[in-house]
Amino acid sequence: MMRPVRAYYPILPVLIGYGILFGIGQMVPGKWQLISQLAFFCALGQAFNLFMGMTGYVDFGYVAFLGVGTYGMAVSIYYLFDKGLGLTMIVIGMILAAVFSTLLSLAVGAVALRLRGAYFAIATIGVNEGFRFLIEGARIWNGSDGMIFSRHMKTAFGRETAMALSMKWADVIVFGVAFLAAVMTLLYMRNKVGYALTALREDEDAAKVMGINVTRYKLIAFITSAILAGLLGASAWALKLTYVYPTDVFAIHYTVEAIIIVLLGGAGTLLGPIVGGLIYGVSKYYLAIVLPGFQLMIFAPIIIMIIVLFPEGTVGILKKRVFGTPLEKFII
Amino acid sequence: MLKVEKLESGYGPMQVLWGPNLQAEAGAITSILGPNGAGKSTLLWTILGGVTARRGKVVFEGNDVTELPAHRKVDLGITLVPEGKHLFKEMTVYENLVMGAYRKEALAEKEKTLDLIYSLFPILAERRNQKSGTLSGGQQQMVTIGRSLMTKPKLIMMDEPSQGLAPKLIMEIFETVERLKEEVGLTILLVEQNAAASLDAADYVYVMHEGTIKAEGTPEVIKASDEIREAYLGI
Repeated sequence: MMRPVRAYYPILPVLIGYGILFGIGQMVPGKWQLISQLAFFCALGQAFNLFMGMTGYVDFGYVAFLGVGTYGMAVSIYYLFDKGLGLTMIVIGMILAAVFSTLLSLAVGAVALRLRGAYFAIATIGVNEGFRFLIEGARIWNGSDGMIFSRHMKTAFGRETAMALSMKWADVIVFGVAFLAAVMTLLYMRNKVGYALTALREDEDAAKVMGINVTRYKLIAFITSAILAGLLGASAWALKLTYVYPTDVFAIHYTVEAIIIVLLGGAGTLLGPIVGGLIYGVSKYYLAIVLPGFQLMIFAPIIIMIIVLFPEGTVGILKKRVFGTPLEKFII
Repeated sequence: MLKVEKLESGYGPMQVLWGPNLQAEAGAITSILGPNGAGKSTLLWTILGGVTARRGKVVFEGNDVTELPAHRKVDLGITLVPEGKHLFKEMTVYENLVMGAYRKEALAEKEKTLDLIYSLFPILAERRNQKSGTLSGGQQQMVTIGRSLMTKPKLIMMDEPSQGLAPKLIMEIFETVERLKEEVGLTILLVEQNAAASLDAADYVYVMHEGTIKAEGTPEVIKASDEIREAYLGI
């Protein structure tokens, strides 16, 4: 079913938002670090929202997808650096990241997606811990020693290119992943997938009696969300930091951050994760300066307040405000 | 049209269905009566495929469909009006109904089915743009039934459609069920605790208890048996 072009107008504010962010980062000296952090949070929220926001399932093991994605890129560079592949290695790394996260999401999804609500959340909570222990215990990819591949990058690409890759291009890819996640979200929203996901989010039994293959659509959203997370790990973590330790990439607090971002912005909305990512990123950055170490203590009550007072999040409220105005078709 | 043979199912270690046999004739209202916990809802969900059958068979229009998942059964023309009002409360009446036309075949006939639903329930036409969560209990039940009709079923299974409704509305729901049979020609499998009303509407009745069929017959036969009425129906 073809939709009119105006159904896809909401991608414009996304594009403008990321464009402005990117522009500020390029033009204001000394702010690139903050901007790349913000882009990471927006991308994280956007990727997480594709599953949590659209299905209503909360995956506490989400960071594991970023983790295996990080390893995808690391493995590519670590083992292929002397094969003379040049920048193809980055492409292979991204592909490996997507493959790893797909495989993990299939394995987790096949088991956990049979459960609903809180049971799903509990079942997924151990996934990242389990994966971390597997890598450390079985000494896969150097186990807890991690993989440090800055030297490999310099050998393969030369010092200049290697620096540019981790200082700049990694962040550019993060912007790309964030935008891709937004595009996928809107595509799903505007097609049969979104329709099925809305139904199953609202009432899974009702969705079943309507003839919706709920398992299939949950899995579609789960895998898409996981792949985006994998790509994000490969760029924002592997390529940018040029090392990977299991304790760093399988840390549950990233999942919690993703949940906070999505709730702040508005679960199930397109623009929510961007707004949420910006609010969270900026406040985290400045709180770290003003009250170092207290960020999480301050965020906890804020989250409780949001859930009680504004369960629909910033964009959810905005959506209601612009209902019936010309802005309506841009904000979802 | 539908034949259930020695169907067994349950949840985890708890088995609920212990091999009931039953049939739903085409174009008739078949009613399943029985007390709470008899396994009536589980029976419907197992027929649909939302609960997995462990043993036994579900035969629909001569084909063994036991193993098919719920969405495939809906494709074949089986649907279920679940117990309690499983509505999309934040959506309007119209949006709820259209959500029911999810399958391609159903979507093609959307307007025709909508007309049918509005003629069955004129109040829904009036309230089409109202949020379904703000409707009365009876009207919500109408939307739930309407949404199931949107899937273009041949067999519609209804789980306690009169639950929690005022006596006048219960009458209305049963009238609707009979109209679905007579005017639309649907086959209906009705699960009810309201034995009196159900016996009046049904063409054939099964009495279910502890996961098996304890008695069956035409409504007259069931009504005539003091033993069945006292033991299982409380009327």
